[in-house]
Amino acid sequence: MQILMGMFWIFAKLSLFSFGGGFVMVPAVIAEIETNHWATAAELTNTVAIATMAPGPVGVNLAVGVGYKVGGLPGAGAAFLGITLPTTILVVFVALFFFKVYKHPLVAAAFYGLRPAITGIILYAAVSLALKNGILFAANDKMLDSGINIIFNGWHFFEAKSLVITAVIFFLLAKNKVAPLGLILLSGVVGIIVF
Amino acid sequence: MEQVLRKDKKFALLLEIFAAFFKLGSISFGGGYAMVPLIENEVVEKKKWVAHETAVDIIAVAGSLPGAIGLNAAALVGYSIAGILGTLVAIAGNLSPCVLIVLSFSVLFQQFSTDPTVQAAFNGIRPAVISLIAYAAYKTGKTSIQNNACKVIAIFAFCAMMIAPTYIVLIITAGGLAGIFLRG
Repeated sequence: MQILMGMFWIFAKLSLFSFGGGFVMVPAVIAEIETNHWATAAELTNTVAIATMAPGPVGVNLAVGVGYKVGGLPGAGAAFLGITLPTTILVVFVALFFFKVYKHPLVAAAFYGLRPAITGIILYAAVSLALKNGILFAANDKMLDSGINIIFNGWHFFEAKSLVITAVIFFLLAKNKVAPLGLILLSGVVGIIVF
Repeated sequence: MEQVLRKDKKFALLLEIFAAFFKLGSISFGGGYAMVPLIENEVVEKKKWVAHETAVDIIAVAGSLPGAIGLNAAALVGYSIAGILGTLVAIAGNLSPCVLIVLSFSVLFQQFSTDPTVQAAFNGIRPAVISLIAYAAYKTGKTSIQNNACKVIAIFAFCAMMIAPTYIVLIITAGGLAGIFLRG
């Protein structure tokens, strides 16, 4: 029951601040779940991968995936309610009363500062996943055994195979010809070959 | 008699809303603004549920509310067609495909997560997910970072997350306040 309440609360709280897409929630979700020892960052990264692969909003997919990982079907249900209920109520409220509020200058000013903050947080989401998955500056127990780990003076700097995959996929995304699903499947095949 | 007929019509309309957003939900890979042209095509061009100007307003509001823009747009379109019931039906239709897919993926993954091949595949997928997220940052940055003040806010948010990722709500609020302070 504590897990279900936790799932609902984490996603209910974060949903109201998830401006600009679901990725912004990733680091906070991982931080909260790790603090409660409900799952590890590597397990959650796999869930993020599943959430990105499936159609639909990343935030909702993430909630369902993480909810299932932590608390089975009831966990998925609780997380789903958490991610959908508050924003639905907000949207209906807006539809009823404040349809024009987004044109208010104060709202526009708030978004002027809010949007770059979101960009910074999403960038952190990417960096923190690299840190937590043995790709950058990994602790001894987090290193990928099958990877090429570049270690200097006892300090882990990076794992070369993963870094190359990251760079190539980013390049393909910027070239803008392959859909995310295709890229994830491609990198899965590459993973089977090189790891 | 007449009322029964009206109820039937309402039910048929709700069913149609559900089906339309179920379809949109199953093809919305990539999420976000990728959904916008698809929604417009379906509800403005094909079904003629809302006028073009209303659709533009709906997309703008959906994008400035928290939560997924596609889902918010679905909720608002549903509301403008059939009230609160319309909202609920549109949301249910929009989300059932992805919820079912994520659940089946998760169940499958749990079965096979110890398999060495699956583990190798995910070793390759995790870096790709990092690129997807980094690219999302790059894309939002292109519109959100208009000058040095925005750069400072973005760097501040990045560093604040490094130090205290659980304070995300505070960090986003601080960004909004900084905007009001600078432009309000």
